[in-house]
Amino acid sequence: MNLKKLLDRLGFYPAETKLKLIFLGSIVGLLAGFAGFALNTSILFLERHLTVLRPYWWSFIIPGAGAALSYFFLEKILNEGAGHGVPEVIYSVSRKGGLIRARSIFSRIISSGLTIGSGGSAGPEAPIIMSGAAIGSNFARFLKLNERERINMVGCGSAAAIASIFNAPIAGMVFTLEVVLGEWTAVNIVPIAVASVAGAELSRVLRGNQIAFSHESFAIGPGAIVAAVVLALFTSAAALGMTRALRKSHALWHKVELSPWARAFAGGCLVGGLGLAMPMVLGEGYHAVSDAVTGDFHPGFALVAVLVLAKILATATTLGSGGSGGIFAPCLVVGGFAGLAYYRGVGLVLPGIDLGAEGLFALLGMAGMIGGMLQAPLTAIFLIVEVTGDYNVILPLIMVSVLSSTICSIFEPNSYYLRDLEDSGHLLRVGTDARILADLRVAEMLDRDCMVVSDKMKLGEFVDVVKKSSRNFFPVEDEDTGKFLGMIHLDQVRPYLFSREMYDVVLICEIMDAKPAVVAPDDSLTEVLEKMEATRSIRLPVVDGDKYLGMVSKVAALDRYRKELIVQTEK
Amino acid sequence: MQPRLLQVFRNTPFGRETFLQSIYFARTIDVSIRVYVPKQKRFLMYFENDVLQVDLDESYIFSPDTAEENVRQLLDNSGVNFDFVAPEHYTASSLPDLPIDYEFMCCPRSMSDPGAKIGLGYIGPKVRHVIKTASFPILIPSICYKEWNKISVLFGGSINAVKSLRLGIRLASRTRYPLEVFTIQEKGTDKRSLEKLIEERELAEKFDKYVKNWTFLDKSDVRESLYLIPHDSLLILGAYGHGLVRELIFGSKMEIVQDFMPNNLMVVGPNFSQ
Repeated sequence: MNLKKLLDRLGFYPAETKLKLIFLGSIVGLLAGFAGFALNTSILFLERHLTVLRPYWWSFIIPGAGAALSYFFLEKILNEGAGHGVPEVIYSVSRKGGLIRARSIFSRIISSGLTIGSGGSAGPEAPIIMSGAAIGSNFARFLKLNERERINMVGCGSAAAIASIFNAPIAGMVFTLEVVLGEWTAVNIVPIAVASVAGAELSRVLRGNQIAFSHESFAIGPGAIVAAVVLALFTSAAALGMTRALRKSHALWHKVELSPWARAFAGGCLVGGLGLAMPMVLGEGYHAVSDAVTGDFHPGFALVAVLVLAKILATATTLGSGGSGGIFAPCLVVGGFAGLAYYRGVGLVLPGIDLGAEGLFALLGMAGMIGGMLQAPLTAIFLIVEVTGDYNVILPLIMVSVLSSTICSIFEPNSYYLRDLEDSGHLLRVGTDARILADLRVAEMLDRDCMVVSDKMKLGEFVDVVKKSSRNFFPVEDEDTGKFLGMIHLDQVRPYLFSREMYDVVLICEIMDAKPAVVAPDDSLTEVLEKMEATRSIRLPVVDGDKYLGMVSKVAALDRYRKELIVQTEK
Repeated sequence: MQPRLLQVFRNTPFGRETFLQSIYFARTIDVSIRVYVPKQKRFLMYFENDVLQVDLDESYIFSPDTAEENVRQLLDNSGVNFDFVAPEHYTASSLPDLPIDYEFMCCPRSMSDPGAKIGLGYIGPKVRHVIKTASFPILIPSICYKEWNKISVLFGGSINAVKSLRLGIRLASRTRYPLEVFTIQEKGTDKRSLEKLIEERELAEKFDKYVKNWTFLDKSDVRESLYLIPHDSLLILGAYGHGLVRELIFGSKMEIVQDFMPNNLMVVGPNFSQ
């Protein structure tokens, strides 16, 4: 008896779908929340024990060793073969019905723990999203849930993971709906919200109710809102710079002729070297940003500006060379420093201006950076409100995050997470045209009810076939081999039809279209419609190798489209 | 549409034997072959409710420059339709996704372990996983090229055994080869209940038409009984149809059979749907 039947028999398995998803979502939320706690604890453990070595000159090797070990574990022991997390989760939701390998539950927790704990500049959020999503996916697989329910469980895992690691349930939920699923429906929102709460609550039980960037409440005046608008320009520039630096770094490191683990080691050592001069760029970097928010970060404008660039460089090097981790935490750190640099820069140019507390601008910088880089303004707003516990900052937060997101979308139409998926045509959200067209195959809409004629048939015999058929097109096959040879359309033979003297003289092979446009059974509906458009046809023959299989028409395609749309959007 | 067999090509002499066996199967059953020449050491297959990662051993990416040419050489005059699979999707840049719309797949006894382990009696964990997950039956070829001119079905009455009997009948009707059914006599397995099962599954008419012989193997040791199965037959059997607990206690028949039989095996897993 499987678990589903057992739960059913014990009355623990509510039949109604929404209740079922809420119940299962809460379990996934707890599991993902625990994964978040495990990753956080392991990073803190490593950091605590390795920090004592930082004063030594040779400590630059530590991030290198961590990145190399991380690569070795991920690629050689677990054969993971994939990237940092979020794009894979989105790909799985978008194209593979939310299926994620079971090994992904723990692979990124360990590998990113090694990279970040040893000092690599990366964030634990993307790995923990991957882990949470994999927990949800495999839990759903175990219970044999359908595709829609499985995707829901992936969302629950992802939301709970974020909720757990940031102690931010709303941000977890919003991030999942905005970035991972791209779909705001009631059937999704409720279980994901419950999972978020479960993840956050578990984190509070295990770690205490900690606010990541707690501070005194900020006074917000109109000046701060105006300044926030200008800050959006700077955070946009930083977000675009970081996006491009990450991409460039991946490309550059792949050209380095070293084995992948040696590349990861070299990249880690470079970051370690940078960390000797500026320790704030190592690891997640939340300590320095926390100081910036509370107003305890004392270095001057120039150093803070350099830190922005150094953190971008360190992150691009860590991730580009093969370290494991995500960009969420580095985004917050870069944004925090960018906001601080902006505040101090304005103070230098306009010494008398009163913008309020500098910590406010560190927060706004973080929101702008997340809004720009991930093009997820709602996530940015809710995350900052939750990690600071300060609702007063909401107005400038909204301004900076939506503006930054908009400005970045002009230069980079897709966020860092989505660009590769969009480029490869894999970003297909449920219920969209592109998704439905990609999901339909020619084989599903074959019309086999069409009379096939032989190439050696005489025109007179063909006229008899026409009399019996309601169609005005006929595929032609080789009489001996059954090979598809072409098509014959009534319009093509009309001139001969009324000349009885031709009936015994003309053969079908002489008047058929020997080079008609054809489609293959594996073609997607998009390809078929493009071919129909190009050839101005409303139906095309489907040919597998040289065998005729049937016809596909625009009418049948539209009918299947409608049915698929109903399936994908049913609540 | 002609049924298709998926073959992951290994460009080595051992891989050639496997491939020749697939070609023989394809010609006999009249199916086309889709050949995947791997460029990476791993690939994914997304089934309806599972995702399977196949990690290939080094020999699969050995001498990639000549692989396609060698495939063509072996297939060009074989009379078998073929084409190459190019993965359309990638989960990650080094992780291609292979389509899964096939009727058969050929797996040698192992795809992930070094050649030294490959031989009769060893079946790799990845191949087990493929059998458990795939929606199509798996052809496990004999170690060296071996033609077959009969079809044998091992039928014990489980759900998967019924599926394998159905498949055996289908292949017998396509090939016109004689079909023999073998039942390993166990406690609770009697001819009458199996006949009733065949009738319930609406197989009785076809069973009478195609099955030439139904033999009950009653030796105390399963391995002794297997000697009666003709060496020159394609042996079709179900696998993992009794659930995890029973399998952990009593073991899997398929494991014993593959351990002991040199025949080409066609294994029907729990997710096979005809």
